[in-house]
Amino acid sequence: MKSYLSVFRLRLRMELQYRGAMLGGILCQVFFGLILIALYRTLYASRPQALPLESVVTYVWLQQAFFRMVLSSDDELMDKIRTGGIAYDLCRPVSLYGFYYARIAAMKLTGSAMRAVPMLVFAALLPKGWNIAPPASIPAAALGLCSLTLGLLCVTALENISMGFTMRTLDFRGIRAVMNLLMTLLCGNILPLTLFPDSWQKVITLLPYAQLLDAPIRLYTGQYGMDAAIRVIGLQAGWTLLLILLGTLLWRRNRSRLTVQGG
Amino acid sequence: MNTVKLYIRSMGMLLKCQMQYPASFLMQTLAQLIMEGGEMLALVLIIDRFGHLGSWQPGDLYFFFGMMSVTFYLTECFGRGVTGTFPSLVRSGQLDTMLARPRAVLTQVLCSDIDPRRIVCIAVGVTALCIGSRLSAVRWTFAKALLLCEAVAMGVVLILGLFLIEAIFCIYSVKSVELVNALTYGGRSACAYPVNIYPRPLRTLFTVIAPFALTLQLPAAYILDKPLFSWPAWTAFLSPLSGAAAFGVIYALFQKALRHYRSTGS
Repeated sequence: MKSYLSVFRLRLRMELQYRGAMLGGILCQVFFGLILIALYRTLYASRPQALPLESVVTYVWLQQAFFRMVLSSDDELMDKIRTGGIAYDLCRPVSLYGFYYARIAAMKLTGSAMRAVPMLVFAALLPKGWNIAPPASIPAAALGLCSLTLGLLCVTALENISMGFTMRTLDFRGIRAVMNLLMTLLCGNILPLTLFPDSWQKVITLLPYAQLLDAPIRLYTGQYGMDAAIRVIGLQAGWTLLLILLGTLLWRRNRSRLTVQGG
Repeated sequence: MNTVKLYIRSMGMLLKCQMQYPASFLMQTLAQLIMEGGEMLALVLIIDRFGHLGSWQPGDLYFFFGMMSVTFYLTECFGRGVTGTFPSLVRSGQLDTMLARPRAVLTQVLCSDIDPRRIVCIAVGVTALCIGSRLSAVRWTFAKALLLCEAVAMGVVLILGLFLIEAIFCIYSVKSVELVNALTYGGRSACAYPVNIYPRPLRTLFTVIAPFALTLQLPAAYILDKPLFSWPAWTAFLSPLSGAAAFGVIYALFQKALRHYRSTGS
């Protein structure tokens, strides 16, 4: 366990180096957030919905703030798989799955935390109707944070599975594009899941993608009450364990039939 | 004329190269289709829930979405050298060879890459245009068809220009700059909807600085017989030219940036 933690810490430090790129990323994400909110404000003015506008606005800001958690992939690993550099990682006395799990988790955590904090402060300072609402209650905030952590573990497990498939097909562009779309659409980044048709929501909220950001956000805004919280967090934990299990099996099979490219 | 011939020759060559990996090509094309289909699905769901957007009916929204998709992906398909590969040309120093050849740099960059997978995105856009024109019962005339072509052509020129801004930054800072994405990809997302739904600062941005409203949306509104701004109708025929004007200014800056270019060596 200790070695995985140090992989995690190393990666964390490395991610912290790119502060310039971060600023550009934040401004870009804020801009996208503002565009989306302007759109939803006009839509709500045309036809008000049962779900209050404030919670849609909050949903958009939280989605934008944690965007890096959804979409950030370890390009280095992709290259390693293609060029055969992965042979070096195979020599390490740690499980390959655990090694990459720690790396990806660290990338996602720093990438999103560094962007989320300034963005959420900015979003809180905006005038009313554009700003992010405070959490429904203090326990709601705590539950949201707890569920966000589980979401991070879940999305990392999911990403590791798609990496596992890359090892088989070698060409990652196709599979990555499909994964990215499933991710952005079904985790609520393109359109908040709360605005999907009600009958769809029943199914979509059960999928692993919804565990990532949708569940924490709904806990934060109080859409899932305290009674639903146990069910939601249980579902998240269940998916996380299942996906880690599947990923480990896939990587173990890959390891036994791996042909390293290059010389 | 020679330049056009050169461009067509290069495109043919690049296409042949890409077809060498048919399985990968098919999968990526499929991925593109799903991606753009996803964007359209979001629009369908929004229309399903909200019905209309201010004074704009569902058909109008499909039409605006289609205009943007067709234009944006035409640019990404044929202008891939500018929209995609330019930063790596600068970083790797490959731009040096282009400076030494007896052709304009922009021509060579455009000739260096093509992305035929975008055809499916363009197809989605065309579908949206057809649905929109059917739902809004557009009365097509020769002038409107001509205007549509003009708008799309000028839109392509405009988007190419906006991506050139990124190229300029890239020459100065070697790294590509994410912030410019706000104008290009942000413009694509924002201006898939009519700009008059946005508050004034955003509307001004997409009318004056990155004139998507003038090149694409004023003509679209004219075709749909609805007002976007309260301007006289004939302005719809002149306003797309602003795309070419914006391109001209940015191209001049690009030339200036090229004189500043210092190779990364190796």
